[in-house]
Amino acid sequence: MANLAVVPLRKRLWNAEARLAYVLLAPTVIFLIAFMFYPIVYVFVMSLFRTNKLSQLTKFVGFKNYAERLTDPEFWGVLLRSLNWTVIAVVVKFLMGMLIAILLNMKFPGRKIARMLFIIPWASSVPISTLLWQWVYHPEFGLLNHTLKITGLWANPPMWLGRPTSAFIACIWVDIWAGIPFFALVFLAGMQAVPTELYESANMDGAGAGRRFFSITLAGLRELILITTLLSAIWTFNDFNVIYILTRGGPANATNILTTSVYMSAFVFLKFDSAAVQAVLTFAILTIVSVIYARFYFRKEND
Amino acid sequence: MRRQNRARIFTIPLTIILLALMLFPFFVMISTMLKSGEDVYKSPPIWIPSHVEVQNFIKVWTQYDLASYFKTSIFIALGAMALNTLLCVPAAYAVSRLRFVGRKSALYLLLMIEMFSPVIVIISLFKIMTAAKLYDTLASLIIMDALFTVAFNTWMMNGYFKTIPKDIEEAALIDGCSRVQTITKIMIPIAVPGLVTVMIYSFIFAWNEFLFGLSFISSKNKMPLTIALYNFVGRWTTQWQYLCMAAFLALIPVLILFFFIEKRLVAGLAGGAVKG
Repeated sequence: MANLAVVPLRKRLWNAEARLAYVLLAPTVIFLIAFMFYPIVYVFVMSLFRTNKLSQLTKFVGFKNYAERLTDPEFWGVLLRSLNWTVIAVVVKFLMGMLIAILLNMKFPGRKIARMLFIIPWASSVPISTLLWQWVYHPEFGLLNHTLKITGLWANPPMWLGRPTSAFIACIWVDIWAGIPFFALVFLAGMQAVPTELYESANMDGAGAGRRFFSITLAGLRELILITTLLSAIWTFNDFNVIYILTRGGPANATNILTTSVYMSAFVFLKFDSAAVQAVLTFAILTIVSVIYARFYFRKEND
Repeated sequence: MRRQNRARIFTIPLTIILLALMLFPFFVMISTMLKSGEDVYKSPPIWIPSHVEVQNFIKVWTQYDLASYFKTSIFIALGAMALNTLLCVPAAYAVSRLRFVGRKSALYLLLMIEMFSPVIVIISLFKIMTAAKLYDTLASLIIMDALFTVAFNTWMMNGYFKTIPKDIEEAALIDGCSRVQTITKIMIPIAVPGLVTVMIYSFIFAWNEFLFGLSFISSKNKMPLTIALYNFVGRWTTQWQYLCMAAFLALIPVLILFFFIEKRLVAGLAGGAVKG
């Protein structure tokens, strides 16, 4: 790297190797600019204008749209719900993923098959499995409530998607359900990478199962936990399919999070300016989290 | 040791309970897809169909034209896979092997794009697609599906290329191979496992995609499977046996493909902290 500094800038920017690199990167960059970066810029521009029902820009209003959104209690409700949604879902995914990883890390007959079966929810197409859940949740003919009743687990189960609180639980559960295997598999892979000698010596030192778990397993997984949690938080925050398919944000806005709100504002209520503002704010939140993620990822890459 | 044995006793029952929970919708799917219309709407519902309705399998192909949606989805997924590979392999080679100004930023940017939510750009993309006359074309879905996996796949391929020793390539360069030849004749053949992984990943992504299909496609004959099934629920709420049968058939290809790449995917997502 030291000798790079003495090479003049022009040479550094435009030598044979760099030229080849630019040529190889050009197709990707061109596509990304046209279909990702330009759209972001455009959505930002749109957020500064009033729009009509055809999404045309009609009048420049500066940050007035932002002021309107930020003083609207409904927007704050959606934002808060997005955060709740993310935190609750990630915590449950984490805990259940960890539990499954611990189970699969034990030696018992059939654990290979169990591992394969646990992957299925993750391997499945989310829109399709969400449609299946819609049928599972059916208040009268759905097999969930029927099973809860006949097994005596819950004599009077709710009409899942019909009421605000139960609809939120029903939606978040589908998101959690689809996200558990990712945590389970990554944690399992991490646990299997922890050297067994560590456990053996801890055993000889008389450390109990709990101590072994916290001071060897969890300590060994620290970085992995951080990365998977951040990644899952971003995915969960971005979830659109589950809510859109199950409730479209209803009933009474009970399941409306930022992503569904952006979509519904634009394509159902045709308030494109309001949708653009929410999209820009979503982008801002995601960027902050992504920067944190990228930092951690790079720090590890460079180790 | 005693305590450990006691913990073991709970392992299998607990695993079975958790599996029952995680596979619940699939049990419902299998039960429903074998039911007759009468059984589907029995109150209280039943788990075991009174008889197995084989007709459901035939009906989804004949009456509901599942084959045409399958064809559309296969076309989109193959298109997205091809475009994605053409974009990410050269890009990955550049960031993994060549020295140029902006290399670090390119890598950083790729990681950021991976986190990107399509919802943010869906409003402006809708306008762009309309202006570019791509609205209601399969090309719009192929482009977007390919682009939304390009970051992750470039990142994965970058990882694979980095594991190939530089000497092999340098020897070829000295022997008179051009740079492009070293890519096509040496790097790609060695990185085949990685290449297969990224190709399958982009295929699965396109197969499962929902938001772009929902926003950019209006004609029935251009609908991918996910959108067709979604609309199916809206229109024929009464026929869950067909939906479950169609869902089952639509899930089979992605389940099989996913099992091929699952280990490498986990390793890639966990950022090299675990080896696949």
